[in-house]
Amino acid sequence: MEFWKDSNEAVTAISKMWENVGKDAELREGARKVNQLILFDYTESGPDCAVWVDCRKDAFVIGTGKPPDTPDLTMSLSADDAHRSWMNKLNPVMAITRKKIRVKGSATGLLKLVPKLKKVAVIYAQTLTDLGWADKIMK
Amino acid sequence: MKANTGKIIRVDLNAGAVSIETLPEDYYGKYVGGSGLAAKYFWENGDFNVDALSPEAMLVFMNGPFSGLKLSGASRNSCAGRSPLTGHWADSSCGGFFAPELRFAGFDGIVITGKSPKPSVLLIEDDKIAIVDGTAYWGKGIEGVNTDLKKKYGKNYRTVVIGPAGENLVKFAGIMNEGHHVFGRAGFGAVMGSKNLKAIVVKAEKKEMDLADPVKYEKLRKELNPKMKAALAASLLHENGTAANLEGGAFTGDVPVKNWTSNFWEGMADALTGSTLSEKYLTKRGACAYCGIVCKRVVEVKEGPFAIPEGPGPEYETIVAYGSLIGSLDLAATCKANKICNDMGMDTISSGVTIAWAMEAFEKGDITEADTDGIKLNWGDMETVINIVLPKMAKREGKIGALLAEGSVAAAEKIGKGSISYTTHSKRLEAPMHDPRGGGHGMALTYAMSARGACHVADPMLFVEMGSCFWPEIGFEFELEPKTDENKPEAAVMSIEMGALENSACFCQFADREVTIPEWLELFNTVPGYKWEIPDMMKAGRRVFYLKRLINYRYGLTAKDDDLTPRMLEPARDGEPEGVEINFTGMKEKFYKLMNMDPEKGIPSKTALAEYGLGDEAARVW
Repeated sequence: MEFWKDSNEAVTAISKMWENVGKDAELREGARKVNQLILFDYTESGPDCAVWVDCRKDAFVIGTGKPPDTPDLTMSLSADDAHRSWMNKLNPVMAITRKKIRVKGSATGLLKLVPKLKKVAVIYAQTLTDLGWADKIMK
Repeated sequence: MKANTGKIIRVDLNAGAVSIETLPEDYYGKYVGGSGLAAKYFWENGDFNVDALSPEAMLVFMNGPFSGLKLSGASRNSCAGRSPLTGHWADSSCGGFFAPELRFAGFDGIVITGKSPKPSVLLIEDDKIAIVDGTAYWGKGIEGVNTDLKKKYGKNYRTVVIGPAGENLVKFAGIMNEGHHVFGRAGFGAVMGSKNLKAIVVKAEKKEMDLADPVKYEKLRKELNPKMKAALAASLLHENGTAANLEGGAFTGDVPVKNWTSNFWEGMADALTGSTLSEKYLTKRGACAYCGIVCKRVVEVKEGPFAIPEGPGPEYETIVAYGSLIGSLDLAATCKANKICNDMGMDTISSGVTIAWAMEAFEKGDITEADTDGIKLNWGDMETVINIVLPKMAKREGKIGALLAEGSVAAAEKIGKGSISYTTHSKRLEAPMHDPRGGGHGMALTYAMSARGACHVADPMLFVEMGSCFWPEIGFEFELEPKTDENKPEAAVMSIEMGALENSACFCQFADREVTIPEWLELFNTVPGYKWEIPDMMKAGRRVFYLKRLINYRYGLTAKDDDLTPRMLEPARDGEPEGVEINFTGMKEKFYKLMNMDPEKGIPSKTALAEYGLGDEAARVW
């Protein structure tokens, strides 16, 4: 992997980022509107390399590995491309077209979050800094 | 000949005569079908000296080679000729159910000239074709006429109908299929109206097609249909229609606000987006023939001042044109405006843009109540738009109706006072609801290069800049940043070639995003059997683009007409693209070089034309 020592690092960074996203009122409200169980499946980079966010029915629960139910939406990509995408350095449409990201399920809710990705990128960068991984931040 | 029938219906309304014409087989392999084939027919047979609304004007409907296949997105039809709105070449594509029925009846197209002495209907029942009396339908709205025609002939008869706007020669009048699908752009409804042709009705008994390689095609079809349906974009379109991603566009600055004076209105992201339409007003979804994506909307507004019964719902373009563009966030009002435009038979883009221009002119004092019969044109006043302006436009009623029925450019020319500077068009065709300043600078280039004028479906540049096109087999591997000019002329060349192919094949741009270059090739080789390699296919696309340039040149257009208005090119005033300038001149110069086009005449060089098999055509213009 280009950005991660191992898959645990990726899971730690991205799950921590989602925890911080949940602390932002605007993003939390955005997630509430999504109202889905979303699985970010990075298992092509390691067996348990996955993060899920359950924002159904006003909840905001984050977990790693296999989700508790069948996800409404699954986005499968490598942990490196996940890093690029959360840094807002990967055009998601282009990545889907070129099969770097595979999507299963309804992405309608996720579209509501796309305009917020810039803000998420800021939170992600801060999360990496807090974890002592500022060197991973892409300029 | 395979898939195509090689035959068109030739209608002379002056003489009340109908004949069958066989087209030269080589037309098909060179110009594909649809708008390309229409352009070739028009080039050879059209009278370039007659007004678009004169009896001698030629109106062409042409199928693509895939019409009638049980393949998602493949059964559109192209209507073409001289546009009454722009004065030059235009083509307008429509989905729905007209194309396959015409193909099954045994025809690739219909070419109409002349003017019927009284309102008429063209009735096609396989090879039995007649011009019948249409007096009973004249003056009536499309919805009722569609119902009446089906009552008279049968519910499986397919209709294309014009409304009062077409009869009254409103320059942006459209033609509706089944009362839901529309040949919207460039005013061909007025051309039908000028010919006293209210409707075309078609019914075929057999549903057969003779394909070049049915076994290979069937295998391909079984791969393509599920792939197209399963694509992310298709699932979004199915769920929330063509406005599914309005929310994203609102934040990137792609969605125009108040006649392009703003690129950002936060409220519209929620208020107008496709999921809101689904939640509030959607009753069911609809589809064009044989399409598994099912992106059409059927809506009902149950209460309030804009209540409407269940019927066809608005597409993205209508939602913006009768939403943020005129300063409204009332989706119920948009649904009602859509219903009126459909029934009257008016293009929602050109009509909405014309109203937006008029509202700004009114705000500035360039139009006053003396020009509008005392009507105030205020941003977001949907009651006035719906109850007064639209009916007056459709009927050319009063000063305001007569002014706006001409379209925004002619209206601005009449009003003067510098109001032309804040029109939004290219080559006199009102621009669609994607602002290149936010949506992608390459679109500014392709709007200007489109033969019919500012157009987002002449080629797929909108999708190209989004990142949803990837054609490595033709050298397209760009990773484009929408708000720059980097690699845009190069990408535009490929986009325009692909767009010419799509529109000549009469394929839906929403469905065919999943079709790869090798799959396109296999479709052309297994269905009509064009026996192409990839370069032959791309050459056909370029040839069609070139031919339309030549047609426009014969109408007096040159390189200077490949332009956008000052409003469209000024730096955005707000939103994500605020302050960014489009390098339009730089992109245009590069594009011209890449396409080997003359920088003054705006047409391909003699050498380029010869290389693309247009030597005879070159002799007419060089």
